[in-house]
Amino acid sequence: MKKMLHVGLNELLLLCKDRMAIVWMVIVPLVLTFIATLVFGGLGGGEEAVVIDLPVVDHDGGEMAVAVLDILSGTGSLNMETAYDEEAARQLVSQGDRAGALIIPAGFTTAVMSREPTALELVVVPSGQTAPLLEGMVRGISSGFANVQTVVEVAIGEAQRAAGSHELDYEGITSRAVAVAVERLHNPLVDTLVTVVGGDEEGQFDATSQIVPGYAVMFAMFTVLSASGGILEEKERGTFKRLLISPLPRWALLGGKLLAQFVVGVVQIVLLFLFGALVFHISLGNSLLGLLLVTLATCWATTSLGILLVAVIRSRKQIHPITTLVILGSSALGGSWYPLFLMPKVVQQVARVTLVSWAMEGYNRLMILGGSLGDVWVDIGVLVLYGAICFTVGLRLFRFKEA
Amino acid sequence: MALAKVANLTKAYGDVQAVAGVSFEIQEGEIFGLLGPNGAGKTTIINVLCTYTEPTGGEVVVAGHSVAAEPDAVKRAIGVVPQDIALYADLNASENLRFFGRMHDVPEPVLKRRIDELLQLVGLTEHARKRVEHYSGGMKRRLNLAVGLLGEPRFLMLDEPTVGVDPQSRNAIFENIQALNRGGLTVLYTTHYMEEAEMLCDRVAIMDEGQIIALDAPQHLINSLGTGLIHIGIRDDTDEELLAQLRALPRVRRVTRRNDTLAFETVDAQQALLGIIGLFNETDTPMTSLEILEPNLESVFIQLTGKQLRD
Repeated sequence: MKKMLHVGLNELLLLCKDRMAIVWMVIVPLVLTFIATLVFGGLGGGEEAVVIDLPVVDHDGGEMAVAVLDILSGTGSLNMETAYDEEAARQLVSQGDRAGALIIPAGFTTAVMSREPTALELVVVPSGQTAPLLEGMVRGISSGFANVQTVVEVAIGEAQRAAGSHELDYEGITSRAVAVAVERLHNPLVDTLVTVVGGDEEGQFDATSQIVPGYAVMFAMFTVLSASGGILEEKERGTFKRLLISPLPRWALLGGKLLAQFVVGVVQIVLLFLFGALVFHISLGNSLLGLLLVTLATCWATTSLGILLVAVIRSRKQIHPITTLVILGSSALGGSWYPLFLMPKVVQQVARVTLVSWAMEGYNRLMILGGSLGDVWVDIGVLVLYGAICFTVGLRLFRFKEA
Repeated sequence: MALAKVANLTKAYGDVQAVAGVSFEIQEGEIFGLLGPNGAGKTTIINVLCTYTEPTGGEVVVAGHSVAAEPDAVKRAIGVVPQDIALYADLNASENLRFFGRMHDVPEPVLKRRIDELLQLVGLTEHARKRVEHYSGGMKRRLNLAVGLLGEPRFLMLDEPTVGVDPQSRNAIFENIQALNRGGLTVLYTTHYMEEAEMLCDRVAIMDEGQIIALDAPQHLINSLGTGLIHIGIRDDTDEELLAQLRALPRVRRVTRRNDTLAFETVDAQQALLGIIGLFNETDTPMTSLEILEPNLESVFIQLTGKQLRD
């Protein structure tokens, strides 16, 4: 056991001596996680929503145009810029300075009131990533006004038929009906309720809580599997042979190396979580013990996968492309980059073969859904079993000696 | 007393017979050399002796322990200096020695003293804190030797320990080995440099294609050639009767025909040559080449195999 610890300590000493390895292990994951979180998650734990600047040109100026602006402002996702004329607004979009611009045509209010055809114009660039979002919002409003017109038309028709006369105050009816309908647009009687369960105290989904563990698992896999490749390097350099012909039991030799890889993986994940908690204020959930156990199980499974890969791969030249393929493939499939629940059902089923999917499910249950240790026992159990299978097969296939 | 006994050792890798029925003993306190070209089977024999490679057949005993049945006991008795520079390049000399010392069960209170002694022995005390990656080839070889000595072995195996080193480091390594041997250490030394085998070894086994083709003290092997070896190139149609006449010449001990070359072992190469040339002239037989070889282990190898040692 003492020798195994010495082998493990020597591995850690070698790692500490390799400055580039430290950079790859700590600095690169921190920087990439930081960038990914800024891009996808928003700084400050998701408390500040993304706001899109939207130039609006109002050629109408009537009460229906004002209603449109009120509704759009009410989403909280748009900053309405009314200072531009139509040409300037179109130019801003075509130059890529704005995702889109809204043109409210002259006579919009009159058209709505008189139940004539009209259209809100949304100017977007074809490849704009935000365009579908804006289009959805504006189409929603247009659809709402179209519904208003339909309701009013039906109401008037019904009134005419009921009264049997044409002497009613149709303008007054129209005006009051539209006012009620617009009020319903603001406060619809039948609304859609979006509920996000768990999450931080504000009850918001925090993308950072997905990104940090996702990247932590991915980089831990990079580090651990690269360290596994170090065994092949030692074989090629002759130090592995030198250790084999010293009075050192084989289990201590391999155990020491795996122990070091396991420790490095755990330290790396813990560091990234601390970074996420301190810089991005991610929620670590309600069970730190659960987080620790999921992390230990993940690193055990990763270390075991490493020994399996080293057992079946013969040279360092082969191991880098293969481990990269395994890591990136399982990270993409297993939910390191995007939540698994956003993927098609078939992909979710296939993803179950990756250890990443079980690790991410555990982290998501704890950090996003606010689960307890009891909610992640299955994930921990599967990861431990996954590691045990990889370890057993890997050990069976591992060649201490070549030929 | 024999410290290592190898009896009818064979080792095959698939269809390739790396070692084919080799037997020898290494006496305690001697420096025993394995001399042969690359691929002769020298490293395979060391690998078997140090328990790294399992033999296909035969019996190997080191320090009274069977390598097959008691590998751990064998490991505690031996030190190995492999052909590769088997060191951690990112660590310095002290760190390498400390780690490998722990692997060789050197007790912690003794380890520091042992490291200092070995660094002094191989002349690296002043470079103890320098990373091995910044060492010269010779310095790495010397540290490689020091690591092999960490466990205070009774039996040291060195596999081509001077490949690629400068003359100064080579001499330093020779001096180290000779000093250790004077202290009682038994040494197995493989090389394809015949000068090294001649200079260092008490006995040499010459190997070719997995077999030992000669085994004796270097001087005895050299003396077996007489005072010189003459190689004469001949045509295929050279008369067999001429060969019989050549064998009967005075000062010619033996004549061997190998394809288009006649090899003459002589008592006195210069005088024998006069008689040989005379006979060729008398019979009007053309010579295609003529070479006089200095008697040494290289010419022994050539005489035995018809090949150069470095082929």
